[in-house]
Amino acid sequence: MKLEIDNLTVTYRNNGHNLLALDRIDLTLERGRITALVGESGSGKTTLGRTLMGLLPDNSESSGCIKLDENEILGLDEEGLNEIRWSKVAMVFQNQAANFNPAHRIIDQVAEPLIQRRNMKKDDARQSAGDALKRMGLLNHQAIRFPHELSGGEIQRSMLAMALIMEPELLILDEPTSALDAMTKAFVADVIDKVRQRGSSVLLITHDLDLAQKLSDDIAVLYLGRIMETMPAGELFLNPMHPYTLALGRSYPGVQVLRDLGGIRGEAFYRITHQHPQTGEKAMFHNHIIGPGSFHEDRHVPPAGCLFQPRCTQADGDCLLKNVSMINVGDHQVRCLRGGIVNRIELKGVSKRYGQVVALDCTNLDLRAGEVFCVVGETGSGKSTLAMIASGVLLPDSGLRFFDSIDMDEWRKKDYKSLAGRIGVVYQNPSQSVSHRLSVLDIVAEPLRIQGIGGDRKETFERVKKALADVRLPSEQEFLRRYPHELNLGAIQRVCIARALISEPSLLVADEPTSFLDPSVQAKVLKLLMELQTEKGLTMIFVTHDIGLARKIADRVGVMLAGKMVEIGPSSLVLGSPLHPYTSLLIKSAGGNGGGMVQMNAEPAKGGCSFAPRCTLADRACFWQLPPQVCLDGSYHSAACFRPQVTDNECFMENKPCLSGAAPACCN
Amino acid sequence: MHISFRHELGRDPWFITGIGLGLVLLLLAGLGPVFSPYDPHDISFRPLSPPSADHWLGVNDGGMDIFSELLFGMRNTAGFGILAGFTALFLGVAVGLAAAWFGGFTDQIAMRLADVVLAVPSVMILIMAASLFRPSPVMLAVILSIISWPTTAKAIRSQALVVKNRLHIHAARQAGASGIYILARHLLPELFPLYLIGFAAKARMAMFMEASLAFLGLLDPARKSLGIIISFALKYYYMDIWWNWLLPPVILLSLLTMTVTFLVISLEKVFDPRLKEAL
Repeated sequence: MKLEIDNLTVTYRNNGHNLLALDRIDLTLERGRITALVGESGSGKTTLGRTLMGLLPDNSESSGCIKLDENEILGLDEEGLNEIRWSKVAMVFQNQAANFNPAHRIIDQVAEPLIQRRNMKKDDARQSAGDALKRMGLLNHQAIRFPHELSGGEIQRSMLAMALIMEPELLILDEPTSALDAMTKAFVADVIDKVRQRGSSVLLITHDLDLAQKLSDDIAVLYLGRIMETMPAGELFLNPMHPYTLALGRSYPGVQVLRDLGGIRGEAFYRITHQHPQTGEKAMFHNHIIGPGSFHEDRHVPPAGCLFQPRCTQADGDCLLKNVSMINVGDHQVRCLRGGIVNRIELKGVSKRYGQVVALDCTNLDLRAGEVFCVVGETGSGKSTLAMIASGVLLPDSGLRFFDSIDMDEWRKKDYKSLAGRIGVVYQNPSQSVSHRLSVLDIVAEPLRIQGIGGDRKETFERVKKALADVRLPSEQEFLRRYPHELNLGAIQRVCIARALISEPSLLVADEPTSFLDPSVQAKVLKLLMELQTEKGLTMIFVTHDIGLARKIADRVGVMLAGKMVEIGPSSLVLGSPLHPYTSLLIKSAGGNGGGMVQMNAEPAKGGCSFAPRCTLADRACFWQLPPQVCLDGSYHSAACFRPQVTDNECFMENKPCLSGAAPACCN
Repeated sequence: MHISFRHELGRDPWFITGIGLGLVLLLLAGLGPVFSPYDPHDISFRPLSPPSADHWLGVNDGGMDIFSELLFGMRNTAGFGILAGFTALFLGVAVGLAAAWFGGFTDQIAMRLADVVLAVPSVMILIMAASLFRPSPVMLAVILSIISWPTTAKAIRSQALVVKNRLHIHAARQAGASGIYILARHLLPELFPLYLIGFAAKARMAMFMEASLAFLGLLDPARKSLGIIISFALKYYYMDIWWNWLLPPVILLSLLTMTVTFLVISLEKVFDPRLKEAL
């Protein structure tokens, strides 16, 4: 069974201002595959499911076509629909209890489709229903109960049994696990997987990204009725290509995800279509998003631009004006004018020496827009050097730097001030990073004055006040006139954050911004930083030696050792199942127990892995040869090591060029 | 912190004494021509007459009023000190800042030059210059500053190196600030205490030096100066008029140097915490 949805648009009529629920959806459900549909509430997931079942309410209008094995099913009458319902297409609804008739026993209701559609005898049908329920783990004595006598999980499983009883070729599941505990969820997931193996196609509508990622083959991401991205399921967390997918993944408390919830800035509204009140040639139907700022003076905006633009971390002028079509990026399809998430900063083979000391040894790093990247490592491993090179202020000895795909060094030469305005930096020691001779106002306004973008005095003043309000500091005259020594460290660090953000940068480099603060102040400053990160859509480089902290905030982690990045990948993988022994040692030592492996004065190996003298797994090669790149998890997690700690040898790929990471071939 | 500096200075007895004395002396020197009862070059009085109501400190051997001489002499001596102090400070700040700012080769050259100049005995140079070329006092002040800048330059350089690497300057540079902005807005104001200390020390040295040279007769004897007065007074030392002729210029010279010394001590004490413990 193959289901093709082509150009499907669904609107709900509402007094001339029609709600646009689905907008030109193209989606194909292949036989034996599970397609997951994810997105925020109100994105039209459920409407899509109901459309497939022909269950739209009377005030809806739909256009386009839905073909079930070449047969058009959109717009079929009740009779035609009844033929396919239950037998070919079955749906498990959200809010299951309400979908059972409270006056009948469960087993009778499950048997009903058999009796109605297959004209089975009542006893045979009940027999089959009993078997079906048993397969769902419901015993006979449970099966004869009334719906209100069953728990939520049991109801859910009964609903599944009912949907599967006719062995439909297409199963639509609307939030099948939202009310279930973890055990029941796993059981239901198994059942769904069996349905797939039987050759049916499954449309899984869910908020549960973990389930979507584990269970499905493909994922489609829906936003305000449009599909923003389709991708292979495994890439949902590892390699989202649309900014919305990234933000969605960050809002979900996945079991693998270590970092704190991020959320998506702004709010999703809904879209309406309506006709212009003018008559004649100006009359036109169009749709737009309801939300603050979405109207012009006659309260109408013609449709243009990307739907996600107001909340996007990488939107530019084009995103507001141009229409977006789906483009192929790798095995993803992305509806993004910028071709998916762009690289905010790219470092290619940058290195830096201080005399004889190699602070940074030919390091590559790609940072995607809106990402929080943590650099961890022991002291002197080149963390800060890397961050300062990325911030533009430090010149690398060799290598290339790109900011938004523009060569940073050329930009720097041409117009350093405009580059500086795009990058904010927060330093380690708050009291030293402000001049004690300047008042709060002068400190925060300094970047504006340097870059000459503050406008007149009054505008500068207003911007400073806004920046201070952003970091939750008072913005009264009295506070603006204060000097740093009258503030506590936490407040000074906030002033520094305000200073870093006042020129509205898109990259924030934070060099151990909380290491001078006590834990309670640190918690406040960190929370603030992460809030600002979400709100302003900042890309962040966060340098820290604190693994615990990196866990809480990082999307990706890079581990530095002696000027090289020896391991890089999503924080859940790097910190959860490290490849490099050095990373394991760092994690172990962060807990205060290095397991006797910590040596402070080991002589670094010449020509080999710098960690070899301290490594318990090291063999001869480690001392004399540069370690190879090993990549895991679709090469999103990589390390430079001869003896990576891999348990599963099958997913081990040696010497494959990784996306970004440790010592590349270009450096000798 | 700059606010507490001001506060601390206000409570320091060294500073209060110094600034009080300094104000009185500056007033005397500045308004000398107004106060002075006679023209100091007027020789129409009876030579070597003792102090009287007309001539408060008597008349010298050339028939000039000693009190008027004193006022004009102090004016010249103090003026010389201030000029030499300023010039030396300017040179020291320029060289020290350049050395710290550019670093590397510039730094090496500037600091070795400073070492060389430091090694040369300044009194000798001055005596030679004064006796060979007979320069004007202004020229002499400049020569003095040329041989006395190194200590200021070294102090400025070391402090500037510290300040230059502070995070807030790093932050300004990251925000796109030019070198001139950082110098003008951050580095120069930050070094303010050093200017005070450097200026005061050099001015003290210059005043004493001027008096010494005048005493040795290396300066124009017609130009009034505390050193000249002392030098002439010493010739009549046996005549028992030392208390009205010799003593006043000596006291004035001491007061001048003391004033500046007091100021230097208090400024260093307040601005340099290490000295605070030593004192």
